[in-house]
Amino acid sequence: MSLTFRLFRIAMRALPAELRARHGDEMEALFREELARARDAGPFAIARVATASYFDLMRRAPYERWRRRGRPALQPRGHRMPSFVADLRFAIRSSLRTPGSTALVVATLALAVAANTAVFALVDAIFFRPLPYPDASRLVDLNEQAPKWNLEFVGVSYYDFDQWRTNTHVFDGMAVWDGLAENVSDGTTATRVDGQIVSADMARVLGITPVLGRAFTRDEHMLNSPRVVMLGYGTWQTRFGGSRDVVGKTLRLNSRPYTIVGVLPENVTLTEKTGFWLPLQLDPEKERGNYSYEGIARLKPGVTIEEARQDLLRAQAPIWRRYDSTHAVSPRIMPLRDRFVADYRTVGAALGAGVVLVLIIAAADIAGAMLARSIFRRREMGIRVALGASGWRVTRQLLTEALVLSAMAGIVGTLAGRAALGLMTSGIADIPPWLHLGIDVRAVVFAILIVVVTALLFGLAPALQFRRQDLTGSLVGGARSAGSLPERRLLNGLVVVEIALAAVLLASGGLLVRAYANLRDVDPGFRPEGVASFRLSLPSAKYTDGRANRRFYETLIDRISALPGVTHAGVVTCAPFSCHWGSFFEAEGAAKASTGEEDPVVLTRIASADYFATMGITLLRGRFFGPNEGTPKGPRPAVINDLLAKRLWPNVADPVGKRFTFRGDTVAGDWMTVVGIVKDVRHYGLVRPMRPGIYMSLTSIDSAHSFDRFAVVAKTRGDAAALFPALRAVVHELDPELPLFDVKTMQAALDESMASRRAIALWLTAFAAIALTLAIGGIYAVLSYVVGRRRHEIGIRMALGAQRAEVLRLVVRQGMRLVTIGLVLGIPAAYGASRALSSLLVGVGGGDPLTYVLVIVVLSITSLIAALIPARRAAGVEPKIALGEAS
Amino acid sequence: MRRHWFYILLSLAERDRHGSGIMRDVLELTDGGLKLWPVTLYGTLDELHEQGLIRALEEPPVGAEDDSARKRWYRITAAGRRTLAAEVARLQDTVQVAQRRLASGGAS
Repeated sequence: MSLTFRLFRIAMRALPAELRARHGDEMEALFREELARARDAGPFAIARVATASYFDLMRRAPYERWRRRGRPALQPRGHRMPSFVADLRFAIRSSLRTPGSTALVVATLALAVAANTAVFALVDAIFFRPLPYPDASRLVDLNEQAPKWNLEFVGVSYYDFDQWRTNTHVFDGMAVWDGLAENVSDGTTATRVDGQIVSADMARVLGITPVLGRAFTRDEHMLNSPRVVMLGYGTWQTRFGGSRDVVGKTLRLNSRPYTIVGVLPENVTLTEKTGFWLPLQLDPEKERGNYSYEGIARLKPGVTIEEARQDLLRAQAPIWRRYDSTHAVSPRIMPLRDRFVADYRTVGAALGAGVVLVLIIAAADIAGAMLARSIFRRREMGIRVALGASGWRVTRQLLTEALVLSAMAGIVGTLAGRAALGLMTSGIADIPPWLHLGIDVRAVVFAILIVVVTALLFGLAPALQFRRQDLTGSLVGGARSAGSLPERRLLNGLVVVEIALAAVLLASGGLLVRAYANLRDVDPGFRPEGVASFRLSLPSAKYTDGRANRRFYETLIDRISALPGVTHAGVVTCAPFSCHWGSFFEAEGAAKASTGEEDPVVLTRIASADYFATMGITLLRGRFFGPNEGTPKGPRPAVINDLLAKRLWPNVADPVGKRFTFRGDTVAGDWMTVVGIVKDVRHYGLVRPMRPGIYMSLTSIDSAHSFDRFAVVAKTRGDAAALFPALRAVVHELDPELPLFDVKTMQAALDESMASRRAIALWLTAFAAIALTLAIGGIYAVLSYVVGRRRHEIGIRMALGAQRAEVLRLVVRQGMRLVTIGLVLGIPAAYGASRALSSLLVGVGGGDPLTYVLVIVVLSITSLIAALIPARRAAGVEPKIALGEAS
Repeated sequence: MRRHWFYILLSLAERDRHGSGIMRDVLELTDGGLKLWPVTLYGTLDELHEQGLIRALEEPPVGAEDDSARKRWYRITAAGRRTLAAEVARLQDTVQVAQRRLASGGAS
């Protein structure tokens, strides 16, 4: 037999066995015949016949294979069967064949994708999305701190700012600003518009250009220069219809005309809505010690925060030398984002971590489900490989299936995520306006990335384990053997991971819920039930002195008290959770405090006599001041809180009757007398500690400026919210140009102060619930699979006399062993996670035993139920049937 | 219809043949233009058989010489004839259409 012929024979193996069986001999005979003919024509002809025949064989072989199986391969004419499309079609068909498990996988993934998309949008907004200014990374927040006064941020003094501005070198510009709200009226009705008062260079520091007109000039920041205003974009649109010739026109603020010089672009908001900008006009020398502004600066390119801090400290040194030898107040600088994000950082990080855990659990769950499924499909795969499909082909098929499932989940999940984001943020009240929340392209890309990575993850797991498997075993053993050891280990490992992570999420969610529940139990120091509140601001153009103010609020209180259902009404400068005004006081005859000592600032409020009754504030000693008690000339009665009493008279049991005064003010007539001591009101929210506080009697104040903005509170026997129309009517009657703002019930204000805590507790609990569901589903799926695989073995056991209860125990024990291992790993991990959450866990220790016991109980019981279902199925195995299946 | 299908059916339409007979006949029919090498030949025969256009004979026809008597012979089926006739008619139409157009349309 010639070598040429032998080679041809070997090459013929490329053909499908079927074809070879039918026509192999004929092909060989013809080839031999052709060779014999060619031999007469010389070696060149032999070569030609051989080459042509080999070529013919190679070209035709893929087609012959494809023709028999409909499997993708090269067609003889070079057409490529679109194999991906075929895979896709097959994948969709096979997913639709098992709608239940497909829906389960898609729903699981969609849930994870939805949570991820929503949380990504939040995390992105908090941590990554650049602030809406050019070169925002060079923007820094300037402030001052006074640890001795227990103040993290005292605000910037204009005097200090002026020194910094002239004596620093690394800044490209700095500015200060303050939020303020003005009554904008058109004669008949009035609205309250939020805006800012800004120092020179504000626009330049932020890097914004007016859309119309110009920014303020230096001259416009001089004292007593003409009144000018820049319109916010929103004000321009709503009040002037976006008209182009608005520059030069007039805007009436607090009953005074201001000339419009420019219009601000959209999204210049810092912390409040920007309705307008006014120029700050101050004399630095008169502003020393008045800390009330927010500072912002732009660093020169390449300057670090630390360099800038050193530069600021150098500029501060002369101020310390001259006025503040104890360095009570020092400059503070941080990236702009950190200043605004501080409160959201832990929340964002916790949500981010929570959602990642959910995704891992979901992926493990799906990997487990796919793995179990693929073991059942082993026979199908085995047949395919036997028919000539390559390992790569099978892998590709599995990957395509995974991708189809993920794509469905990606679409459903992204849509659901958008809805979830709305739900999530509706729980958080005080979102800063610059925090851009929304599903954007990047969030969608992120979701797609999740989907693709997950697809690879759980698509490959079955493919890899399939590649390892023994082909013959799969054909002969079918779906009967109990699965190889590595497979079972992998499945068990997935369940353990799921349980452990679910334990972490459950414990974190549980701790947060407990913390929130504790928070609800904290006594706010007042009784919010039935209390309605709103704020007013009296324009100084109309209310020129203290007497005009007094006339207004006395009439107001009288009229409100006369309303049906109202039992008490009062006014106060700062209602709980709203504003802060700090002062320093000293007791009569007290020794000068040593300089290094802590000296917390005192929350100073001015209140009408009935305010205490309205708010239900608890009196500890003495009495409240009466309606007309106290005059500007004295006596000046004061009610102080417990903290201030201890601060001013640490060694006196009952300080009622003691005298004290504003620090630095030693005029005898200005002494105030303590008439009562009250329980602390949680003015700064339930989680923040209270400061020393004081209420001064309204009638002892005569300066109009001290009481031009105040909160009105009214207590009713009925529903507080129902009182608002009547309250509006009363105010409108007194002054139609006066807008009510911050209109809310005290209960709502209290709830709002806890809203972000509630939201995060809610969200982590939701994640925990999802995690629990997925983990339980994982246990169920794996045990069902195991039971399915071991039917034969269980049948034998029962034929040999095993009781149903024993079989039940066998399966349940296997499931609970995994749960136990998962808990052993998960509980310490949960304890670790609680450390990271500690700032949110007010009133609950990270090691709160009740929470952990509950987690263990909940996970064990639900797992037990999940394990019982397949276990009962196993116990119901009829030995005869199970063994019959085997033969 | 693919070219080698057409010529194999045409060859068998005249009379029954064995594989190498078909190969040589097709070579002659196409004036040496189409040589069916072994794998294509028998692959196509297998395919035509699958389609029911030809069938293999149980035994060689009477009068076959010793060498060719050892080979397997093929015969066109009624379906094969119909398919071939339809294809010839289609080709005829195609040629007529082309000729009419070329005759009336001139050289361009």
